[in-house]
Amino acid sequence: MTLFGIWLGLLSFLVVGLGFVWVIRGERYLGVYWWPWFMLLGIALAVGSLFVANPWLAAVMGIAGGSFVWGSTEMKEQAIRAELGWYPYNPGKVRSPLQSWIEKIPPPSL
Amino acid sequence: MEINTFGVVCAAATFLNIWIGHVSVRAIERRTERLWQPMAVFALAGVFSLASSLNASGYNQAVLGITGFMLMWDSFELYRQQKRIRIGHAPANPANPRHQRILAEFPGANTVDLLDRPILGRQYTAEEIKTILKEESAK
Repeated sequence: MTLFGIWLGLLSFLVVGLGFVWVIRGERYLGVYWWPWFMLLGIALAVGSLFVANPWLAAVMGIAGGSFVWGSTEMKEQAIRAELGWYPYNPGKVRSPLQSWIEKIPPPSL
Repeated sequence: MEINTFGVVCAAATFLNIWIGHVSVRAIERRTERLWQPMAVFALAGVFSLASSLNASGYNQAVLGITGFMLMWDSFELYRQQKRIRIGHAPANPANPRHQRILAEFPGANTVDLLDRPILGRQYTAEEIKTILKEESAK
């Protein structure tokens, strides 16, 4: 019998809970056009975990990575929620690197 | 260097659980009249998944542990989705008797998916939202 899976489940639960927070804050202060960077961060964490032998650290990186990739696909809907007034709207967002290119890509929403 | 695929399996389990949960919670809440039924099924499946992870090993224990907590979260999300319907943050289904009652009882409830639109780049005015609700409810 092992509790490792339960701990990882609890960890994923907490990471997803944090996901609600960072998607809301990230969209408010940075804006939806940061989505590819969050997606890349998530992919980098998952790929980086391939080179980590420690199962705990690899799992933390993987779970955080999966959650970042998901969160990147949530930013578009969050942007609409703020535009509709369901969340505070910040007109002075930080411009994303390569924003003029990113604006041409339809933001993912699953 | 030895490649350790454990983290990628955890990433896939997390991402797929959120994705499938997100889509199925919305679809099931929309169609079910008695919401406690799918809530009970998700919660029990979650407990079963967690219990199974105790005797599993390798990838399985991680996937079952992650899936277990996600299923229990989905159970709670079914309830939260109904609250979104009540305040008009998610579209009600006029064919669902439970949603019919919500539409009659909660003035903010409507049948319009307000999130399904392109980014505007500024806040909507209250007038604009009223117009959208009026035009799209008429469709």
